[in-house]
Amino acid sequence: MSAEAFAIADTCFLIDWASWRHRDLLFELFKTVFVPESVIKEIRSERTVEWIANSLASGSLSLFTETPDVISLARDLVERSKLFPIRGLDLPEAICLAVGKMRNYTVITENRGALMAVDILEELSSVRVWRSLELITEGLRRGLMRGDPRVIFAEYEGDTGHRFPKRDLEVVLLELGGED
Amino acid sequence: MSSEEKIEKWRELEEEAREIRRREADWEFIESQNPKVRAALKFYIETGDIRLASRIADMNIEEFRELLRSAKIPVIV
Repeated sequence: MSAEAFAIADTCFLIDWASWRHRDLLFELFKTVFVPESVIKEIRSERTVEWIANSLASGSLSLFTETPDVISLARDLVERSKLFPIRGLDLPEAICLAVGKMRNYTVITENRGALMAVDILEELSSVRVWRSLELITEGLRRGLMRGDPRVIFAEYEGDTGHRFPKRDLEVVLLELGGED
Repeated sequence: MSSEEKIEKWRELEEEAREIRRREADWEFIESQNPKVRAALKFYIETGDIRLASRIADMNIEEFRELLRSAKIPVIV
């Protein structure tokens, strides 16, 4: 099994994604999505807990237990990120990035600190990080979802209260425009 | 792109997001909250840091995310 079949998701992503009507798209994109124990501890609402529990039961989600080497690298990443005059990393997101680097998993996040860290820290340059924007785009690209991309992205924003950066969304819509 | 240029790019993106949050927030709702929650919402508008903002509000992240929806503050990522 290729490591690309695996992803690891953080709290900010899961609590938004759980509100979306097409949330199970996630499990068509990856064989298994790991959820760190530290992330599970942050999930509280009935809607999200129920979705996560059902997905753990079906094997679509799997628990990721942080090991000392992961935590050690994550702590290093948190410290390194604080050396720059922009928002730094918190440990839960750093754990996902550490796993992304060590296990070659796709990191799924809606945390800007994580996106900045991957852009700025040389040691994270090989880590693939996707937001909901990239996940939905990939679903549309692979034909796992049908419909007008503009409407699908608008539904996501309506369901979750999330807002896609205008420029990033326009780039994606331009790319998908000829395929629908 | 150099590190300095990347940092500048992110600063500009953060400023754009901050302006959208300020513009779209329901300020009447925010001002009607208790002091702790009000401060946390304003902190979030300025920084976009949901984890720290939720700690200021003494809420978990999910509760704070719901509060952002109620306050019409978009999460822009």
